[in-house]
Amino acid sequence: MRQQYVRRSQVLAGVLAFFAFVVIVQLTRIQNSPEAAIFRQQAENYAYEWKTFYPNRGEIYDRNGRLLAGQKTVYEIGVDLNTVTDPHAIAFAVGNTLGMDYNQIMNVIQNPPEGITYIVIADFVEAQDALYLQELKKALNDQAPEGALGGLTGLQFKPHPQRSYPENDLGANVLGFVNREGRGYFGVEEKYNDLLAGNPVQVLVPTDPNKAFEIPRVPDGTTLILTINRDLQAAAEDILDTALGEYGAVEGVIAIMNPQNGELLALATSRRMDLNQFWNYNVVYPNATDFNPVISKTYEPGSVIKILTMAAALDSSTVTPNTTYLDTGAILIGGVTIQNWDRNPWGVQNMVGCLQHSLNVCMVNLASQMGANTFYGYMDAFGLGHLTGVDLAGEAAGRLKVPGDSDWYPVDLGTNAFGQGVAVTPIQMMAAASAVANDGRMVIPHVLYAMVREGRQYNVPAQFGGSPISAQTADILTEMLAISLESESSLALVPGYRIAGKTGTAQIPVNGLYDTSETNASFLGWGPADDPQFMIYVWLEKPTTSPWGSETAAPVFSEMAKKTVILLDIPPDSIRQRLASQ
Amino acid sequence: MNIPNVNHLIHAYRIAPWRVQRQWIGNALLAVVVLAMAAALYLNVTSRTAIAGREIQDLTTAIALSQQVSSDLQTQLAALTSATAMEFRAREMGFRPIEPDEVEYLVVPGYVTPQPINLSSSALPQLSALTIPPEYNQSLLDWLDERLSSPRGMQ
Repeated sequence: MRQQYVRRSQVLAGVLAFFAFVVIVQLTRIQNSPEAAIFRQQAENYAYEWKTFYPNRGEIYDRNGRLLAGQKTVYEIGVDLNTVTDPHAIAFAVGNTLGMDYNQIMNVIQNPPEGITYIVIADFVEAQDALYLQELKKALNDQAPEGALGGLTGLQFKPHPQRSYPENDLGANVLGFVNREGRGYFGVEEKYNDLLAGNPVQVLVPTDPNKAFEIPRVPDGTTLILTINRDLQAAAEDILDTALGEYGAVEGVIAIMNPQNGELLALATSRRMDLNQFWNYNVVYPNATDFNPVISKTYEPGSVIKILTMAAALDSSTVTPNTTYLDTGAILIGGVTIQNWDRNPWGVQNMVGCLQHSLNVCMVNLASQMGANTFYGYMDAFGLGHLTGVDLAGEAAGRLKVPGDSDWYPVDLGTNAFGQGVAVTPIQMMAAASAVANDGRMVIPHVLYAMVREGRQYNVPAQFGGSPISAQTADILTEMLAISLESESSLALVPGYRIAGKTGTAQIPVNGLYDTSETNASFLGWGPADDPQFMIYVWLEKPTTSPWGSETAAPVFSEMAKKTVILLDIPPDSIRQRLASQ
Repeated sequence: MNIPNVNHLIHAYRIAPWRVQRQWIGNALLAVVVLAMAAALYLNVTSRTAIAGREIQDLTTAIALSQQVSSDLQTQLAALTSATAMEFRAREMGFRPIEPDEVEYLVVPGYVTPQPINLSSSALPQLSALTIPPEYNQSLLDWLDERLSSPRGMQ
């Protein structure tokens, strides 16, 4: 009996062992079969997925914390080819919602590239359209079982950020724009592109949760705070638009800067585009220099440059404010006779009268007395012909011909003295004039106030571009300019505030000859004269109501200055001086 | 019963074949139980790791989505309070821009001129991804390997 049990047990053990052996053999065979390789390959397709991590592009704020450039959510709409059941329904729904061609979508879905399981139908789809399609998909799926015809199974939505400009065209020329590839063009977006943009990182992500991995650290872009004052920018654009209509000018700019530290508070240009529709760039701006003429469009400034000529003459001790000369209405230099703007003699004038009446003959006389070396030495020190270093993309250097250049002639010394034959940008003129407004120290204009990264703010210190003239010269000239404006009852005056400044009217060269009917009218001024807190440059191109800067640009300056003192909370001189004396 | 007989019985008991078989079976069963416990423990740890991994994936996605939604809402708010929109609303409510001669300046003791915005904040959320501790993505064998290969493990 006992032997029987032993035998049965041995047989049972043998059968079980054999069964186990067969199982192991079968396991091994299946694991190494060609079918297993296919299954493994299929599993691999689902084991990982490419994922793009988009770092948030840094935001841009104005100096008071108003968002000028941020992000909005848009959608990539695609089809998962493994799960799609009714491509016709998808093509119909997407085509109708997004205004796309039905046949084109069908072709994309039915003829995908080999090995592709997910295909993009549309990208940068607005949130409202994507949400509508999502709700439609949900509603159809509720009505029909999963996988039934008529549903949008397989249609997928992937949100991602896109640059957005909540102020639309406000300050467009300062901000620039970002295209869909994330690259910045013009303005701050281009100048600080590397800071603003983090680099998108594409990573192969395992779907197996056991392989929870270290997500790559994608640092966000740096947030920028600009020196721009949004409300002042809006006011400047509004005033400029009104001025263009009122004076019949074809183009114009208004630039406002703090002459003590170079902070640009507003840069208004007549051509502006809605940055959210950057693809219209070519329509709005035929030339690249049109995007921000303040920094990239050169022109002959005319009489505003007399500020610099007089500064050079005073600083080199060529003249004093009381130095007189006899204005005969014309002067010969380099074999060419230069006349005053009205072609009339003004008799005996001192230097204040010279500025007040904007006498060309006087300026030519000063330049001749200084000599070319001294005159051009000062113009070079003022930065003419050089980049100011403003932190905006696309700055032009202008052109200042100097003795020794192949195209320089002796007459240029005379014409340059009153702003003809020299090409500058508005920002160059402001930087140069800041030396007069800022005790002889020239500022470097800039729009970046601070950078914010990882929660920490780094304020950008003001930078200075040298001292072309002494503080004494600057103070004397400011006083002369203020007196000259007051004496002629300039339209640039601002009640309650003492202003220093100068008008400019320059004929426009066309094919090498000056067009007598078309002018660049400008005004460059700052205030309050004893403690300048704003410098305003107005440039109207080809005004039709009057060619003179004193009748077009000057009143625009006054209008802008009145708005500026309100928005910047600058009290009238009397109150400010009373407070200072307390 | 004398002593030699007792010793004989004990010896017979010790060498009984069934007793040896039982010892073998008991040892085998013990080994099976130990292996089963180790497998159960490994399964438990692995499943918890998988759940944690999945939660990390979900949370990472949620964080990214939240950041996008936050940025989107911030931009929408900025659009609603844009210069154009605010001016339009102000005019609708009957306001108009102030004229320079209407401004009255008052001396307010202690008034400080508004300064540009300061966005620095240590309380700002850490926007970068979390660093996942090894406990969440390390297998038991990896852990054992690390412990054995580390200097402390060698001691």
